[in-house]
Amino acid sequence: MAGVRVGNRIIGADAPVTVGWDNIGRVEGGPIKQFIFTHFQPAVLFGLIAFWYYAPNEWALASIGIIIGLGFKVFLLGLEWVNPRYRSWQLTWKEFATDVFYVGMGYTLLRMVDTYIGDGVMIGAVQGAFDWDKFAWFTGLPLLVQALLISMIFDFGQYWMHRGMHNWYPLWLAHAPHHYITQLNINKGNVGNPIELFLIGLGIGGFFDFLPRAFLIAGAIGMAVGTYQHINVRFNTPRWWRFIFNTTEHHSVHHSQDYEATRSNYSGTWIIWDRIFGTCIDGEAELLGMEGGRRMDIRETMLFPFTEAYKDFRAWLSKPARTPEPAPHQPEPAE
Amino acid sequence: MHINLPYIDRIWRARGEVVLDEPLTPEEAFDRLDPLFQTAGSAYAVEGDTLGYSKHNPAAQDKLATFTRGTLRLVRQDGRSRLVFDVSSTALLLCFLAPLLFLGFAQTMVALNAWHNADAEAVEAPEKDKEAEKPKVKRELHPLDKLLGAPEPDDPNKKKDKEKDKDKEKKEKFDPTRAYVLAGLFFLIYLVGRVLEPYLFKRTLRAVLATGQTELEGAGEHAASAPPAPQPEAS
Repeated sequence: MAGVRVGNRIIGADAPVTVGWDNIGRVEGGPIKQFIFTHFQPAVLFGLIAFWYYAPNEWALASIGIIIGLGFKVFLLGLEWVNPRYRSWQLTWKEFATDVFYVGMGYTLLRMVDTYIGDGVMIGAVQGAFDWDKFAWFTGLPLLVQALLISMIFDFGQYWMHRGMHNWYPLWLAHAPHHYITQLNINKGNVGNPIELFLIGLGIGGFFDFLPRAFLIAGAIGMAVGTYQHINVRFNTPRWWRFIFNTTEHHSVHHSQDYEATRSNYSGTWIIWDRIFGTCIDGEAELLGMEGGRRMDIRETMLFPFTEAYKDFRAWLSKPARTPEPAPHQPEPAE
Repeated sequence: MHINLPYIDRIWRARGEVVLDEPLTPEEAFDRLDPLFQTAGSAYAVEGDTLGYSKHNPAAQDKLATFTRGTLRLVRQDGRSRLVFDVSSTALLLCFLAPLLFLGFAQTMVALNAWHNADAEAVEAPEKDKEAEKPKVKRELHPLDKLLGAPEPDDPNKKKDKEKDKDKEKKEKFDPTRAYVLAGLFFLIYLVGRVLEPYLFKRTLRAVLATGQTELEGAGEHAASAPPAPQPEAS
């Protein structure tokens, strides 16, 4: 496979990746379907921002945000049936049950662990140790500015954590199981080793003091953009959207079977972080996963970081100790 | 899973038969079914009129991804052919057991809550005094937001009595409700799978035996550009 040169990298040499926006799929169907699947994403985003901006205080609660989030996911599951991106990513009963297991682990086990060693605890400890107060002046900023700052700061952290996972072996061990997913569906963002999901959830937002309403708007931005990373729905994503936001297209490139392509599009919400730091690759891919698309089961996903680390440690131990190579015999110069 | 547990094994086993439209010999029938077993991790063997198969961690889109082990027997009677199947599913069994795991998490949360509450009682008083010393600052909206009509934040010092009561009630560190909901959800998913998956399995067998095609060849097409044909694995 020849691949396509992007900057100084060759993308698509190992597995097919469509690079650029010229040849990606479009929504097929009548004008109403075209209209809906072109404007759905921005309409939901602006609708949610307006809702949280004007919602009375009794409604502006995290619990309502969680209910909206769950309802949105169920709705998008329905959209996967109405307008799938690829037949080869169609959700099956087994895939759905497996995905819900990982979601369930996030809502129960991980939440318990987070309570003790999550970012809230770490930030509290740092603030206590240095007697820092929060950056309280942030609450004086306009709500939307606060919301954008929260969203972008969190995503900036996610970008570097995610990039670190692809570049530093111990972190990669935790992240690798997530790259064994072979299709994108609504709950696939939760599929992975719990250590990775814990690490990617760490943020520095807790250092700042924001109005609760700004947090809710930021959460809505994350939900109305980040959710589309893993979804089997074909949209005609507007140009401006795909310039600033992460999309299914970007994330499918990140999950493709092509090694170079996976080393791109690290952000969760704001693809402009990738554009700024030179890791963005516009395009899409259908063939996803590792090792030619081998599916990783739950047991292996849970154990992978430990078994791989053990294997590599054993291999490292059994390597013969490096001894300096004897210098080649130099015939003495004739006198 | 070769455990012989009558009745109980219905949790993860499915038995049934598919009546073939045309009479086929075992060789012809198994020949048509062959593509179902030409996938990564599959192994099968034919002995007379019976085919035994197993699949190790099949791909997501494998037609037999749920029922990963079993036997198919071709019975010819009165000039008609029937394919009798007896298959088992690790996925169904694990899904059946999953509620226990989440009930376990719920019980862990209840135990941790009790432990924390016992701890908190010992140190509650001084913390409350500290809180009383520091009156919370009421946040102001930016003038632009006031102009646009966003609601003002509540004054944290004017907490309603009701909310205070709520706070007293909500001392729990972990809320086990989600774990209970997940246990229930997995039971529901199991019930759906137990009914749906044998039905889809039969539909796949019927379709493959009728045409000798698995539809697996369709993978790789753009869904948008080719209207999807009826999918046996739809769930």
